[in-house]
Amino acid sequence: MAATLISRNSMSLVRRSVIISAIRTKGTMPSGADHATGLEKKELLAKAAGNENPFDMRVIKRNAGTKDTPNQIPSIFDKRLVGCICEEEATCVTWMWLYKGEPRRCECGHWFKLVEAKGL
Amino acid sequence: MTGHFHPYHLVDQSPWPLTAAIGAFGLTAGLVKGFHNSNFNLCFIGLFIIILTMFQWWRDVSREGTLQGLHTNAVEFGLRWGMILFILSEVLFFFSFFWAFFHSSLSPTIELGSCWPPVGVDAFNPFQVPLLNTAVLLASGVTVTWAHHSLIESNFNETSYALLLTVMLGIYFTILQVFEYYQAPFSIADSVYGSTFFVATGFHGLHVIIGTTFLLICLFRHTLNHFSSNHHFGFEAAAWYWHFVDVVWLFLFVSIYWWGSCLFSM
Ligand SMILES: [Zn+2]
Repeated sequence: MAATLISRNSMSLVRRSVIISAIRTKGTMPSGADHATGLEKKELLAKAAGNENPFDMRVIKRNAGTKDTPNQIPSIFDKRLVGCICEEEATCVTWMWLYKGEPRRCECGHWFKLVEAKGL
Repeated sequence: MTGHFHPYHLVDQSPWPLTAAIGAFGLTAGLVKGFHNSNFNLCFIGLFIIILTMFQWWRDVSREGTLQGLHTNAVEFGLRWGMILFILSEVLFFFSFFWAFFHSSLSPTIELGSCWPPVGVDAFNPFQVPLLNTAVLLASGVTVTWAHHSLIESNFNETSYALLLTVMLGIYFTILQVFEYYQAPFSIADSVYGSTFFVATGFHGLHVIIGTTFLLICLFRHTLNHFSSNHHFGFEAAAWYWHFVDVVWLFLFVSIYWWGSCLFSM
């Protein structure tokens, strides 16, 4: 029993080192997205495709923000807290809750609308 | 709701903080107990638990980063700052030993004979083994840079050779220090000279052993293809740590071995 286990384990170890050494004999290594996996790889591929902000981490630049073309605020929830810098010289941020399906106007006149975040 | 909405790594539940705490408590309590009754069993059990914890915790971190792809740009940024702040805390740790050394050596008390090295202390010749050690560490700084550039150039074999050479130089340094300690004509109990000398160089030696282990783990991870030319922070952290250890040695050599061995009296 023990002997079977030992031989099985050592055989799998031998196989593994053969696979690794096959890569090793090339003498070069994969880089970037070829080496990465998971979320790291998704991020690298998004950046390679020209998306420098794949996780929506940056401050959202406001557009004209009329009633017909409101600022689109992505969220994974039913509401999101929005801070509007109403004008360039503003000394404070104006905060308001923005709810799904209820476009809202900041006191400065700019419109905002909650949209579903796409994510990476 | 599919996909990822943030770049951060929300870690899983892990037993390692708890086992690390148990190990650290056993280590310190066992050390104090050992100083009292010369039985260091508890200390070694604590040390063993710490070593097991370190192995498994960092194995998990490697798997999360390399095999699960959880180390995005933002996560790596955090790891970098963590390492920078850790090394800064280590700088302050050694700063305190240099403070103790200069406090005692710049105005040696009458009990020491008002001179440094104190009366009766036969200091090492800094231009024998300590100078060799300086050369060994400087050479290892070159080889670790060679390894880093090979890694950036995707040269698998040269990275392996340079990293192996660095580890061997680290082991060589440790062996030389062991011989030096073995042959020392003074002990840690021989005045504040012995205390400052062995505490400062001893903690440095411990850091060399840790740094060598860190580089050796990087060598193992490299042979398992864990590193790519543009994502290898584990290696970079080891290299940063190694350079830090190297710089501390230069200060030890110049201050404690060289300046500290030139007799002067008040
Ligand atoms: Zn506003």
